[in-house]
Amino acid sequence: MTDDVEPLPADSAPRHLAPGDVGLVQSHDFVYDRPFTFKNGQTLPGFTLRYETYGMLNAARDNAVVICHALSGDHHCAGWHSPADRKPGWWNNLIGPGKAVDTRRFFVICANVLGGCQGSTGPSSTDPATGEPYGINFPPVSIRDMVDSQKLLLDHLEIAGVYAVIGGSMGGMTALLFAIEHPRIVRRVLAMATTTRESAQAIAFNEVGRQAIMQDPAWHHGSYPRDGGPRVGLAIARMMAHITYLSDASLDRKFGRRTVPGAGTAGGSAAFDLKFEVESWLRHQGQSFINRFDANSYLYITRALDQFDLAYAYGSLEQAFAPVQAEALVVGFTSDWLFPLEQNRAIALALLRAGKRTSYAELATDLGHDSFLLESEQLYALVRGFLERDPVAFDFDI
Amino acid sequence: MPKAVIKRTFDMRIIGDWVEPHSRVLDLGCGRGELLDYLVQARQVSAVGVDLDFTNIVACVKRGVSAYQGDMTGFMRAFAEQHFDRVICSRTVQELVDPAGVITEGLRVGRAVTVGFVNHGFWKNRLAALVSGRKVRNAVYPTAWFESRPSNPVTIADFEEFCRAKEIRVARRVHLSGDWKTRCSTLPNLLAGYALYDLTR
Repeated sequence: MTDDVEPLPADSAPRHLAPGDVGLVQSHDFVYDRPFTFKNGQTLPGFTLRYETYGMLNAARDNAVVICHALSGDHHCAGWHSPADRKPGWWNNLIGPGKAVDTRRFFVICANVLGGCQGSTGPSSTDPATGEPYGINFPPVSIRDMVDSQKLLLDHLEIAGVYAVIGGSMGGMTALLFAIEHPRIVRRVLAMATTTRESAQAIAFNEVGRQAIMQDPAWHHGSYPRDGGPRVGLAIARMMAHITYLSDASLDRKFGRRTVPGAGTAGGSAAFDLKFEVESWLRHQGQSFINRFDANSYLYITRALDQFDLAYAYGSLEQAFAPVQAEALVVGFTSDWLFPLEQNRAIALALLRAGKRTSYAELATDLGHDSFLLESEQLYALVRGFLERDPVAFDFDI
Repeated sequence: MPKAVIKRTFDMRIIGDWVEPHSRVLDLGCGRGELLDYLVQARQVSAVGVDLDFTNIVACVKRGVSAYQGDMTGFMRAFAEQHFDRVICSRTVQELVDPAGVITEGLRVGRAVTVGFVNHGFWKNRLAALVSGRKVRNAVYPTAWFESRPSNPVTIADFEEFCRAKEIRVARRVHLSGDWKTRCSTLPNLLAGYALYDLTR
């Protein structure tokens, strides 16, 4: 997801008070203080998940909507932490009172994944055994571990029924696995711009990112101080990954071949100074990412993405989806070349072959993989239609 | 209620009579999902529609009908033989690029294929073409040629010939008069305005 920020209009009203906005929100920590066993068999003495909620849980405790974030996302998916924030939560356009995911009606929950670095336990957390960060001694985390830990959070919140699980990209994988592993509580699943197994190309991109991190001498085999680490490697990983989230058309529209002011034609090493706007933007993306993300978390989570393979894990996609009781909606985006349409269609077709109530829609956008974050009335209508259908009374008389 | 809707509901009911309760139904070119919605409510079928148009998919999702956005032949190829009890092709067949291919594939993935279409051999359609010398325009095809999708104006005689040539068994056929309500039993290619066929292998 991009770190772009729209410039703030000079004399605008406070944005967190805008109609349809959840306003100021707070994060909470769920501390699970019993041993947690990862899918690979390793155990942590406990873990913390940082999460946010918006809206009210109803009396039946079954109006929960679980939002699952993508690789570089976090639990802060809507609202503002302070009026001075530069930008709201990452899915603020979709979630809020009266919005497609209506917080007047739903109790929205979003947690930072296990293995993450935004407050949930991950490689940058302190290992109680050593007093040092876990680093690469942290157990290999899988999408399944992310689901299992979030289910413990739902139990803690005494959620009886999950009205819907929603996610894009890695969040889509998490949402699908949620519906597979907890069929009795999940009633709807909405997966966008996602896949049941990454293609070689997607794994290859992740590998370049990991190599950039691990080849940075400051990575130091995963043990680096909290204020240090492979900043160059992580920034390069982010720059490269960012290109895969967009598209040729959207980059061209945004930057074209525009050059930065003062870009000269001098020779020598100056020939490789900042020249094009797209370069400047990429460097900004890299720099802002290293200030908010941990390099080891990046390694762990990209590995979790690469290892995710529903057909392999359950024998076949149809077998994987067999237990699902939720109604499903899969959404693909025409310009997504990271998890292309074909991979999104495959999810819907396998669900249908397994006899599940499933719809599939695709949006024509040119924004690439990140299209699921798009401000699009079409997408809003689809999401709202899936969550709040209006039953049509049929006129049986002719 | 507008007239077009009434006509629509009548062929819907015939299709509904043919559909087994609780069966698996695929609707090719499902539009906004009215037919499937009706079949789900009247016959409790497990239904899925296929349509190319995003706004149609949104309409289906909104009414709780499963729908898949995409090409119908590609969709059917993803399913095993006889996955569906019935494949429906209602008012779609005349706009298909490869009607024979779609019906053949429908007979592979479905135990039966139901086809409903406007009979372009109906005398009023013949007369309209003869008198005006223009593309036929009526309540079902209200648009001029330049704002219409490409169409194969199929007739009952054409369709019967197709079934014979492809050795497709016609299990049931209903021909409706120009009012699209009363059954038409004589000279259907001339006197029927609408035709419904139930095909099997």
